[in-house]
Amino acid sequence: MSFAATAYVIRAEMVKTIRIYFSYPVIIVFWAIFPVLWVFPFLFQGKALVGPGQSAAFQQLTGSGNYMAFILIGAMVSNFVFSGLWGVGNSLREETYWGTMEYIIASPTHPLVILVGKTLTEAAITTCIVALQATLISFLPFGIAFTVAKVLPVLLLVGLLMLGFYGFAIAFAGFTLLIKEVHGWVHTLEWVFFLFSPIRYPVQVNVITAFVSKLIPLTWALIAIRGIIMLNQRDVGIWKIAGVLLGMDAVLLVGGYLTFVALERKTRRDGTVGMH
Amino acid sequence: MAEGSRVQGFKGSGTRTPEPRNPRTLPLARLRHYALAVWAENIKEWKLELTYPLDFLRSLIDPVVYLLPYVLYGIALVGGRYSPNLQKLVGTSDIVSFITIGYVFIGFMNMALWAMGFSLRKEQMYGTLEAVFAAPVPRWVFTMGMSMHSILHQFLMIAVQLIFITAVFSLKVNPAGLLPSLAMIGLMLVALYGIGMIMASTTLIFKQGWLISEALGSLLMVVTPIAYPLAVLPVFMQKTALTVPTTYGILAARHFLLGEQMGFSVGTAFLRVAVLCVAWVVFGLVVFALIDRYTRRSGTLSHY
Repeated sequence: MSFAATAYVIRAEMVKTIRIYFSYPVIIVFWAIFPVLWVFPFLFQGKALVGPGQSAAFQQLTGSGNYMAFILIGAMVSNFVFSGLWGVGNSLREETYWGTMEYIIASPTHPLVILVGKTLTEAAITTCIVALQATLISFLPFGIAFTVAKVLPVLLLVGLLMLGFYGFAIAFAGFTLLIKEVHGWVHTLEWVFFLFSPIRYPVQVNVITAFVSKLIPLTWALIAIRGIIMLNQRDVGIWKIAGVLLGMDAVLLVGGYLTFVALERKTRRDGTVGMH
Repeated sequence: MAEGSRVQGFKGSGTRTPEPRNPRTLPLARLRHYALAVWAENIKEWKLELTYPLDFLRSLIDPVVYLLPYVLYGIALVGGRYSPNLQKLVGTSDIVSFITIGYVFIGFMNMALWAMGFSLRKEQMYGTLEAVFAAPVPRWVFTMGMSMHSILHQFLMIAVQLIFITAVFSLKVNPAGLLPSLAMIGLMLVALYGIGMIMASTTLIFKQGWLISEALGSLLMVVTPIAYPLAVLPVFMQKTALTVPTTYGILAARHFLLGEQMGFSVGTAFLRVAVLCVAWVVFGLVVFALIDRYTRRSGTLSHY
């Protein structure tokens, strides 16, 4: 396929995915509101355990005692991870449910191109949702302020995070072709990310979680993003962290691509693509 | 008809079990008939679940992975295991035991919203919903069988959570509080059965009802004092929390096991949950009956 034809397929897939999204506007409203609502138990837990505002122990671990801002930033950034898991990783499974998977496989387009279209849509919608959440949160008294000087490096870090994570999600989409029902596994992965990356708590509090978290790009991105937003740190080692993220991206993208191609070929050969 | 074949009748073998006709033996025979159906449904669910051993194993490990961030977050906030602030609020300072007991018992709410709520949807996906609806038992018997399986599964998950937390953090509870806690949890389960009935019926209309379960579950997770006392919630949330059975279940369990001060007496807690049981179960059955009739009349039962 020529580059123009590939671009046309990606655009068509994006239009289709956006149309499906907007057919259920309540789902978009849900994703805009509930990820923020999910952090409220943590805010109330903080209030019960140390009182409102600041925690000295938290400050020792993270550099800031403002646990509310910590949790809210974690919730916003983790949206990208979970949209990758559900929107990209689970997307081919959804096509199976809709009865359209066979058409995708039979079309002269490689399924990976379709996944790129889905990934770009997912990234665009999640960015809009997170921007909306950030705007809302900056008006509330949580001690989070966004300025252009802060937003630009944050966008760079988020871009690098998304690149690698969507590579992982593409590999995961390959697994859905193989093992079919992955709903439970997506939930397990979600909780693994909650446990081994500093979305909801500083992982440094435990030796094991601190060690495992270093293997996850989200950890590096969150540490830098929180440093920029909460601590006003101009020098959080952004270039070093960007380098680490780039290295992880390369591994995840190449690994994701190879995994998907291998698994897709296997399911074609086994003749199990249309199975549920 | 022998017991074995009667049970078999509910498993879709094609054998219809006749309703007991003799009016003299009616209540007892019917009850036995329903109990057999509940048991058959429970066994069927276990068989289905154990067909996928890896998934079953994952379902036992998941709750531990789910619980740990809440516990570690508490430790990171306080800088240790004991919180003077919590001591001032509820009379107990051990945050690990406080949080664990809260999250262990809230699992029953998820059971009502997800396991029971999606029981009918699951049958639809298997292609067996019509057969289940044609069986000679009321639909609530079917959902009760599903809930029996879910409750037993939930107890298994709780056991794994408690064993892990006890091994790693050493859970400190008052053993004498176990029986009254279980009594309160039992009452809470009855009320949750009512909520589960409502969720199960909504899937008949909305089909992909995950959004309702997720939204309702999220709201209940905020208002239920799982890892915090009622006092830290805004007043309107405190009032809402008092209409939810899980609030009393968790507060009372922590009261008996850890000595948490509830803000009301034990008698009041039992009385309020008993009222909630009646209210939620009646409401659940009525909503279920109405929606069941609506889907039958509109002919949308088999729609996806």
